[in-house]
Amino acid sequence: MRYTTFNQNNVNPLGEPMFFGNPVNVARYDQQRHSIFEKLIEKQLSFFWRPEEVDVSRDRVDFQAMSESEKHIFISNLKYQTLLDSVQGRSPNIAFLPIVSLPELETWIETWSFSETIHSRSYTHILRNLFTDPGPVFDDIVVNEQIRERASDISKYYDDLIFYVQLWQIYGEGTFEINGETHEVSRRILKRKLFLCVNSVNALEAIRFYVSFACTFAFAERELMEGNSKIIRLIARDENLHVTSTQHIINLWQHGDDDPEMKEVAEECREEAFEIFTSAVEQEKKWAGYLFENGSMIGLNKEILCQYVEYIANLRMQAIGFEPHYNQVTNPLPWMNKYLVSDNVQVAPQESEISSYLVGQIDSEVSAGDFGDFDL
Amino acid sequence: MASTHKVQVNSLPVVEVTTGESKSLLQALEEAGLELNYHCRTGFCGACRCTLTSGQVEYLNEPLAYVRQGEILPCVCIAKSDLSIDH
Repeated sequence: MRYTTFNQNNVNPLGEPMFFGNPVNVARYDQQRHSIFEKLIEKQLSFFWRPEEVDVSRDRVDFQAMSESEKHIFISNLKYQTLLDSVQGRSPNIAFLPIVSLPELETWIETWSFSETIHSRSYTHILRNLFTDPGPVFDDIVVNEQIRERASDISKYYDDLIFYVQLWQIYGEGTFEINGETHEVSRRILKRKLFLCVNSVNALEAIRFYVSFACTFAFAERELMEGNSKIIRLIARDENLHVTSTQHIINLWQHGDDDPEMKEVAEECREEAFEIFTSAVEQEKKWAGYLFENGSMIGLNKEILCQYVEYIANLRMQAIGFEPHYNQVTNPLPWMNKYLVSDNVQVAPQESEISSYLVGQIDSEVSAGDFGDFDL
Repeated sequence: MASTHKVQVNSLPVVEVTTGESKSLLQALEEAGLELNYHCRTGFCGACRCTLTSGQVEYLNEPLAYVRQGEILPCVCIAKSDLSIDH
């Protein structure tokens, strides 16, 4: 089905599923099938921040005083996060926008992906400050074996969905031979690829960042690299919101509140979705091993980091209806939480009390009680 | 309005907590010495998600995280009766 940027058929968006219905025409939010996505947009916008607002100049001194093994941990994590946000800054748009059918969800996807581009820009901000020439760090991302291995796993579900949607847009449903390979395209197959892709993105947002977050906050606990930690806190707050959105999409499918066919697909692909999640957990644990191959850092080692991955994975799995799969039920790094609390994130001085600070917000509700201690 | 209720988490001893507009159920339970999972504490991440087995809660802020039937987010709700929850 050919994509149109403004579908001239009169469709009722309230009767459309999230994906694979009619293309969106009017970007209207007065009526919404799933109003949660507009709430997520508002929240994300209230979180807006710019990397340049955070002063990272003191970090250079801290970095130069680090041991080689700590430098390896710090830089490798930044490389990995750069990869993750490079993917996330474009892929939701390319993969999901051509097939989305609800205006509120379409705008959420754009808002989400945009916030990832801020993360990408902040890695350059951090690295520019640490190195006179940050070039070699970025250059290594596409040649580093450890990162390449993760990159292919992260991008393969996106790439597969994008390719099949392209075939469907050009040829419609059927069996096609492209460069000697046979591809079968049907609505059901597309939906299955979409389901697996969203599960893979959910695993990415839910756990893939956390090994790196833990290391950053472990440095901050020692009062090192605090500018960097401030930025990563803002990123962690955004990622927590993104994972909420992918959990919503998956749950809306599973509970049949959206598309009855997607409910069947969710049941069919449950095992595969489970494997996507557990293999992401295994990869993260392997990454922890790579980080600490030259030695560990004060306050953190491979074992405790792996326990944390399992702990967080349990929480995230329960959120999408899986039984907790790992034995780690208690938080092995309790200090992590104080960096993940949304209201402890301060962006500008006037926002120190509340993270979802709204510019120009006025409380227009005044009750008689507000004048209680007023004397004339 | 703050009010006091008895709360049982998992099979731990019952604690008495006071919740109100300025104190969520999560805060009150922590003050009573319990450790619960949490991240954002503002209702969007879902880390503190619990199952409510009996009793009633009221939300101070509408949660953004997906909350299934029978689940509650203690970081943004208060107790409206005695509660029994699984965490």
